[in-house]
Amino acid sequence: MQLVLSWPIRLLVVAILVFSLFVDGAGYVYRIANHYPLQGAVPGLPPNFGGWQLFFHRGLDLAGGTHIDYEMTNFPAGQSRADVQRKTIDVINRRVNALNVSEPEIRGAGSNYDRITVDLAGVNAAQAQKAIGAVNKLVYTKWVKDAKVTGGPEAGYKPQLTGLTGDDISSATAAIDPNGTAWVVNIQFNSSGADLFDKLTAANVAACPGDTETSPSAQCPERFLTIWLDLSQKDIDQWGNADYAAKVSRPYDPGCLAAPKPGVVCGKLLTNPITRERISGGQAVISGNFTQQSAKDLATGITAGSLPVDLVALDVTQVSATLGAESVKLSLAAGLLGLAIVVLFMIVYYRLPGLLASLALLFYAGAVLAVFKIVPVTLTLAGITGFILSVGMAVDANVLIFERFKEEVRAGRTITAAVDAAVRRAWPAIRDSNTSTLITCVILGFVGPSAVKGFAVTLGIGVVASLISSIVVTHNLLAIVMASNSMRRPRLLGVDRVRAA
Amino acid sequence: MSELPDLKAEEQREDIAPDGEAEPEAAAPAPAPEPKVRRLDIVGRRNWFFAFSLLVIVPGIVSMATHHFALGIDFAGGTEITTTFANHPSFQQVESAVEAQNVSGSVIQTGGGGYILRYPVLNQAQLNGIEQDLQNRPQLGTMNVQQILSVGGTIAGETIFYSVLAVVLASVAILLLLAIRFRNVPGGWRAGFQFGGSALLALLHDVFILTGIFSILGAWLGLRIGELDAFFVTAVLTVVGFSVHDTIVVFDRIRENLRVSQRLSFEQVVNLSIMQTAARSIITSFTVVLVLAAILIAGGTTLQGLALALLIGIVSGTYSSIFNAAPLLVVWRRLQPLR
Repeated sequence: MQLVLSWPIRLLVVAILVFSLFVDGAGYVYRIANHYPLQGAVPGLPPNFGGWQLFFHRGLDLAGGTHIDYEMTNFPAGQSRADVQRKTIDVINRRVNALNVSEPEIRGAGSNYDRITVDLAGVNAAQAQKAIGAVNKLVYTKWVKDAKVTGGPEAGYKPQLTGLTGDDISSATAAIDPNGTAWVVNIQFNSSGADLFDKLTAANVAACPGDTETSPSAQCPERFLTIWLDLSQKDIDQWGNADYAAKVSRPYDPGCLAAPKPGVVCGKLLTNPITRERISGGQAVISGNFTQQSAKDLATGITAGSLPVDLVALDVTQVSATLGAESVKLSLAAGLLGLAIVVLFMIVYYRLPGLLASLALLFYAGAVLAVFKIVPVTLTLAGITGFILSVGMAVDANVLIFERFKEEVRAGRTITAAVDAAVRRAWPAIRDSNTSTLITCVILGFVGPSAVKGFAVTLGIGVVASLISSIVVTHNLLAIVMASNSMRRPRLLGVDRVRAA
Repeated sequence: MSELPDLKAEEQREDIAPDGEAEPEAAAPAPAPEPKVRRLDIVGRRNWFFAFSLLVIVPGIVSMATHHFALGIDFAGGTEITTTFANHPSFQQVESAVEAQNVSGSVIQTGGGGYILRYPVLNQAQLNGIEQDLQNRPQLGTMNVQQILSVGGTIAGETIFYSVLAVVLASVAILLLLAIRFRNVPGGWRAGFQFGGSALLALLHDVFILTGIFSILGAWLGLRIGELDAFFVTAVLTVVGFSVHDTIVVFDRIRENLRVSQRLSFEQVVNLSIMQTAARSIITSFTVVLVLAAILIAGGTTLQGLALALLIGIVSGTYSSIFNAAPLLVVWRRLQPLR
């Protein structure tokens, strides 16, 4: 215990305190350093200190947004489930990108790689489900003669499914073409896709050979290999309807495809490139009048085209931003009220030591909040409750020490000896009781239902910090203050009499 | 055998206390007049305190057996919409609007003009349909949805499973922790398990009181605050931790007193230890109760159920650590003497 009372430890405590206050008030430090007003919106928040963004990460119940747990079904045979899960998360990520969510969180879960958890801030459940559940299947068609067709992009021709789909594409990326003049999309097929693509392009070229750039005869409809989203055999069967064919052949409309309405025909054409030459090896380039953005969108559209599995929503939680803000306000009020009551009670009941414990408590609260920002811990309603509760636990170690201190003073020890004995003798009880709480936290954190894991994390951090706060900070404050004779008055300590040193 | 060196080490440390003072019991001047509270014979009157616990636990068990629990959406599954309406409709208006739908829904009124609408599990399309339908009712006004929860049967089942698993694992871990920590009291491992077992019984006492009261509140009286949800599990686990927390402080004092005052009988040591730690237990619980009262008053409807559960559990935990845990240890020691 003598080590705890040494000056290096005291300096360390002060250093931690200063650092914690800096982290807690990072926003204000930033405002002052840049001469911004202390209230209202200013640019550049949350501040970035050498790559560190310091702010409270709010969970969905505080920030507002949607949480969905999906179960994956219909796993494709012959692939490792972990890979399939990773791929699915990838696809969801790309689909969610369209929603412009800040920090979307899409995590794998489940003991058998069969769950995916999606957290989207600021999005309602309907939007989220629409974006994620949108199954845009990418299909390749070739064109075949049909005399009954009068409309659409090619009169006298209708598309025919080739069997080549988005499932055969392993990657699609936007790039600048070798001449450095235009944006293109590079496609890489998997091995079965490459074979099929090889055959299809060979057939294309054979239909009307020649240089597509110079010879008009080489531009027959059979030379085109067209890419669609969600084009089905049903659509093709109606190609005889000129109006229908024209509507389906418009550029694809993601909004319409995501929420099909009866009677409305969505555009489904992705691109209609001409085949210049037979392509073997599974690498293809889609060129056209792309901008950087449209090339990227297309690449995303192609790979985000299909999910390898079916998704079933197991549970959905949607919290409005106003309710979240309300919860933040209420839990903040509850926390401050709780802290104030505890401080008041400690000072009234324990006098001077109570005041010191309250100072230690403020150190504790400052340090824990800083840890929340640094780790970072995503704060939820349950998490904040855990923190508020840990304030109560933090007091407990102090109460143990003070009760013991009073006892030792009553038993006739000098103040210095009593402080020492109180901390030393209260220690086993403090250690064991906090261990039991920590065990509970660990168990909750691992096997508890997901809603209470945040609670376990904040309570656990709180318990560890309260141990340090009471054993190191309170103890040191007691020792420093008690060194002064004027502080050793019985009235200040809440005891009947004090033995002279 | 292993206790002996341990004891010596402790005495040596006492001897080098900074002012060179010996044990207070031996050298201190006559202590100040003992507070009156020390004369309370808790161990002697233990049967009264056990009876009082049963008085609360038995109705709870009866309620659990006959009425079971009112399950919240986390456990029961279903879809729940929390909303307000622009025209501040009456409860009857909302209820008739929901009854008019072709999905069997129910309505609960919350404070501040809010309503909770409950349905069986709905998929997104059904949910959209229901929202649309309510939006189109002029007597209700624009719906301002605050929260939608939809929990399928799989997740509900898992939540129940993991909740029970967490409570069981925590109990076992705490029993082991106490057995290990208290194996160095006279009597060794067997005594350690007596300490651990008594703490575990006190802990189960708190869990039964808490679940019993919630069964009475929720299933018997039909109050919404008595519904079990994931927060309730949080409360139970916290109470488990807190109850053991309190009990350990008492047991730790018993361990210390067994070492220093060997003239006293086991029962006297236990009673003395209870008296020495009761003030601390009550004060700590009191501060936590203050914090919880703050949450209950200021924390909004979402947290009130949690705050109430914690409040009941912590009061029960304090009671059991003072009046049940240590007296149970005495009963156990009588049934299985160790010295």
